[in-house]
Amino acid sequence: MVKEFNILITGVGGQGVILMSELLGKSAVKDGLRVRGSEILGMAVRGGSVTSIIRIGDEVYGPLIPMGKCDALVGMEPSEALRNVTYLSKSSLVILNTAATIPFTVSLGKSKYPGLDEILRKLSQASGRVVKLDAAQLAQQAGSLLTTNIVMLGALFSSEQLPINIETIKETIQARFPAKAAPVNIKAFDLGYEACRQAL
Amino acid sequence: MKELTISCDAPGERLFVLGNEAIARGAIEAGVQVAAAYPGTPSSEILETLAGVAKELGMYVEWSTNEKVAFEVALAASICGVRAMASMKHVGVNVAHDPLMTASYIGAKGGLVLVSADDPWAWSSQNEQDNRYIAEQGYIPILEPSSVQEAKDMMADAFRLSEEFRHLFMVRSVTRIGHARSDIVLGEISKERRKGYFKKDASWLVYTPAEARRNRPLMLERFERIRKAANTLVYNQLRLADRAKLGIIACGLSYSYVLEAIKWLGIEDQVSILKIGTPHPLPKELVKRLLNSVEEILVVEELEPFVELHVKAIAGGANIPVKIHGKDLLPVIGELSTRKVTEAIARLTDTKPPVDFAKLGRLEKETAPLLPWRPPALCPGCPHRASFYAIKAAARRIARDYDKDVEPIYPGDIGCYTLAYNPPQEAVDTCICMGGSFGIANGLAHVVDAPIIAHLGDSTFFHAGIPPLINAVYNKANITMVILDNSATAMTGFQPHPGTGYTATGDETVQLKPEDIARACGVKFIEVVDPFDLKKATETIEKAIRFPGPAVIVSRRLCTMIEQREKRKRKEEVIPYYIDQDKCNIKCDACVRLLGCPAIIKQDTKTIIDSSLCTACSICAQICPYKAITQEQR
Repeated sequence: MVKEFNILITGVGGQGVILMSELLGKSAVKDGLRVRGSEILGMAVRGGSVTSIIRIGDEVYGPLIPMGKCDALVGMEPSEALRNVTYLSKSSLVILNTAATIPFTVSLGKSKYPGLDEILRKLSQASGRVVKLDAAQLAQQAGSLLTTNIVMLGALFSSEQLPINIETIKETIQARFPAKAAPVNIKAFDLGYEACRQAL
Repeated sequence: MKELTISCDAPGERLFVLGNEAIARGAIEAGVQVAAAYPGTPSSEILETLAGVAKELGMYVEWSTNEKVAFEVALAASICGVRAMASMKHVGVNVAHDPLMTASYIGAKGGLVLVSADDPWAWSSQNEQDNRYIAEQGYIPILEPSSVQEAKDMMADAFRLSEEFRHLFMVRSVTRIGHARSDIVLGEISKERRKGYFKKDASWLVYTPAEARRNRPLMLERFERIRKAANTLVYNQLRLADRAKLGIIACGLSYSYVLEAIKWLGIEDQVSILKIGTPHPLPKELVKRLLNSVEEILVVEELEPFVELHVKAIAGGANIPVKIHGKDLLPVIGELSTRKVTEAIARLTDTKPPVDFAKLGRLEKETAPLLPWRPPALCPGCPHRASFYAIKAAARRIARDYDKDVEPIYPGDIGCYTLAYNPPQEAVDTCICMGGSFGIANGLAHVVDAPIIAHLGDSTFFHAGIPPLINAVYNKANITMVILDNSATAMTGFQPHPGTGYTATGDETVQLKPEDIARACGVKFIEVVDPFDLKKATETIEKAIRFPGPAVIVSRRLCTMIEQREKRKRKEEVIPYYIDQDKCNIKCDACVRLLGCPAIIKQDTKTIIDSSLCTACSICAQICPYKAITQEQR
């Protein structure tokens, strides 16, 4: 029985954050697990911040992760991961895609983007395990930049802490994409898995 | 094996769904035959889901022009004995308010359900209004789910209850129900299909003063029966703990936070809990039993102290000496969370949460200044960006003729284009409600001496833009009304509307044009422009502003999201633009400063275009004073 496992996925509109949580949720249900989650749609898709929550377990009721109770944070974008730092605890796992998406307000001179080192330092203060990944490069290697989110999912599974079976998530990915795109996505998943396993 | 979907009659099976899909599923299980709505976050996916299965299941599903019409469509079906629903966001209920307040006098023949999707913290809304008060005002009983599963169950049951009590019911959702995801256990789908029959009967359908007075006591009687029944409804549950000092009353979604909080604090056995699924009417007997069994009460609910005040009234009326807490310990603003609820309960039980919230709060404060500001932005290639550039260029020219200090005023509206209140557009001076841009412009015209250029989208025009347009003609308001026609209800997910030429279920229909409507309404200056032809668009808008009297501009260009999707389907290549660094004057910055396009990025000492984001709209090339921006050669 799984009591409570909390996953937070953060990024920017257009990075496929919602798809990741759909794949996780569907797979968890296939594995007979209870799932709760939530996200902010609407305004967020227009290039704004996006967070999606997936909570698995029999002792989960609410749609939000309480502060300090995130087990795994998947950061599709460094500053967006940092925005959610208060959900972390010493035992959380953070997987970070290092590619920054600079908001237009920075070009306009209305705000500043922090250095990657500073982001990593802050995240490491909150959590004991921060793994960084050049997910875009791995996605290119798999055959399409569009699979960056699937690379990150693979990385998440390499921690072997997830209550979802790796075969199940791969089945779900296989079924989600048209026949032509499925192998590229499976490859992306495997590349993310390997890269993160080595880093861990 | 066929994959399980939202329309499968597979009782007992589990399906992973969005909350709004669960609400739709509940209606499907109840055998709903008519569903109508106007899109609005966080409600849109309810009707989208129903529209997707309407033909397969034999339902009538429509996107109505606005929420008032949607509710009237559902009400008519109910009057004819057919199960019907209308769904809308919280502020949409304001638009439907007029028929709603008399609907409870009528009651219901076929089950009638209104879904109100409230939005605490106003994630995608203009306010945080709590529609439990609207329901109270109209004697409409509320079912308020605590989870996605319960949203499905309540929705299915609401139609049955509506018929049992011959009364309209409201299902009140919130963002964290409608946009939550969960596995749900499916129920059986009713196959019953009724034929609508309109029985003429003025005594309950024609609301003259006499009939209103005759029907009001009948309505109150129906409501009293519902009030009594609330005590035995499965959605209200009282769990008394032995020797508990604290009793918690948790309304709707708050119940889930309470369950987590007491588990976190390790006091599951030490508090009594009343779960409220019907905040209106409250299960009075259950409330009294709880009040009589404890020393202190904490009412946990989002937004207003609706349940709290009623509980205080019950305690006062029955002379129960118990201390009642609520909004003294919990915020009236925004969403609740496990943290907020845990802190409130910890204070009353003298317990300590296992997480140091103060420390996390400090971390949050330390981090905040490091974070970049990332507001949602108009998409690369969005036609609105071009329209705003043209509107502002034209308005500035005219303002100069007035007086050097005169600033043009831009009343704005609800849609993607609201994002233009951010820099660099800063072209939204008011945003209040659907259609409010034209209405506010009408008023401004009679009190200020400045160019007034109001704008709204095509879907918003059909929704609430026509009466203020007629008003401008009738009352001679000298304003310019720009309809930003991207042939989509884009912000909520590209739902069709009367200007698109097809219906919710994909059938072709008459395509209405805003310019034809404006002409019929007596507007004397009407021009249609293509915002991607900046020069011509600017000149035409300038003429419109100079025209003495109400003028209409239709700025027409398909939403870039749809355009790009169609291009991909046609396998048409997008050839992006690039900045010739030899010609670019880095000090100029016009493209960055004036457009704020996410595809134009400043990198160290140069400005570049991200070719993966560029949609080749050409606007930056049109405004570059150095002609440094050109299309790549392929």
